[in-house]
Amino acid sequence: MSEGRPILPHQAAEFYTWLWWSSERNEGVFDLGDPLGRVDVWVDERLAFRTPGDSKVTAVLTGDNPSATLEARAALAGGKVLEELRLGIRRDDREYAITLKGAPMHFTRLKLPQVLLEGEDSVIYDRMHLYEEVESVIGALFRQFAGVRSEGDWESTTLQHIRKWILAAEDE
Amino acid sequence: MAILSGALTVRRFLVVGDVPEGFRDTYRDRLNEYAFVEPPIEKGKEPTEGWCQVHNLLDTEFDDFDRWLHMPYAMFSLRTDKKALPAKLLTATVRKKCDEWCQERGVERCPASVKSEIKEQLETEWLARTLPRVATTDCVWNIDGGYLLLHSLSEGVADRFRKRFFQTFGLKLIPASPLDWIEAEVADELVGSAPSMPEVSE
Repeated sequence: MSEGRPILPHQAAEFYTWLWWSSERNEGVFDLGDPLGRVDVWVDERLAFRTPGDSKVTAVLTGDNPSATLEARAALAGGKVLEELRLGIRRDDREYAITLKGAPMHFTRLKLPQVLLEGEDSVIYDRMHLYEEVESVIGALFRQFAGVRSEGDWESTTLQHIRKWILAAEDE
Repeated sequence: MAILSGALTVRRFLVVGDVPEGFRDTYRDRLNEYAFVEPPIEKGKEPTEGWCQVHNLLDTEFDDFDRWLHMPYAMFSLRTDKKALPAKLLTATVRKKCDEWCQERGVERCPASVKSEIKEQLETEWLARTLPRVATTDCVWNIDGGYLLLHSLSEGVADRFRKRFFQTFGLKLIPASPLDWIEAEVADELVGSAPSMPEVSE
């Protein structure tokens, strides 16, 4: 454990695309099993793309619901890969917004539900509890992706569905 | 105190190493030992850094546990002070002083050694009356959970933070990988897999 596990750029890009595709296919509903249960996850107001093999962002789509625009999937169809993905997450009555960034999947601009300010102890415990809930959700989503990605039929089944979904944007 | 309010932008680390018995007192002493110390006013351009409380960058004492340790979370901040001089103004002033030196002596060129001496003297004078740029970077360390959140994505800040953290606690900070969320067997399979998404464009 002295050096930790590797951080692979293509895996983050593939996870972001799978998550976007899955959220559209599932209408944003994910069953993440115990203890998380049902969680709503949707692509929110920002998508950033890069060229494979490069880490520099070359195209950014922002505004209301950019994932529904033709440009978004056209960027994938044109060979770009996702570098940043802004998500909305809802579990029970708690709603979060987070941008996952780059290969390490940094948590950026993470908006937590408002916590009541009743002394510092309470603030740190509440905020860390909420942070850990978000990390549990993202971790569980990544585990689902990893399960599908490591199956033998990733290329012949899931990737084909994703490919069709991407290319369908060109026909719309 | 970014970590206590507003949106979070964090870099995740795993904390590797053994937390000693009675770590509360040990870590309090270590934080005090490596806390930020106000440098003398004439201090040069080298940065000065050390730990401070997340609530107040002038508060550099960790004797009161209630201010930084809320088990299992420890919160503190790395304060870095750095002085910088206005480069263009410095260059122009050095040139002017060199011209004056030449005029006084009735010569055309100012030797490099004199120019360097003039520049050094000016830098010393100006640094003594310049306030530093002050930056703080908050962290939250889950001591039981073995992870740390650093409220910055800057590589440079992360490197300096990791160095100071190791000096202080003798523990290594390893960048967290998404593969940490999955079982070792599946992680190994993913590591061995080639990228598949660029094929989409074919």
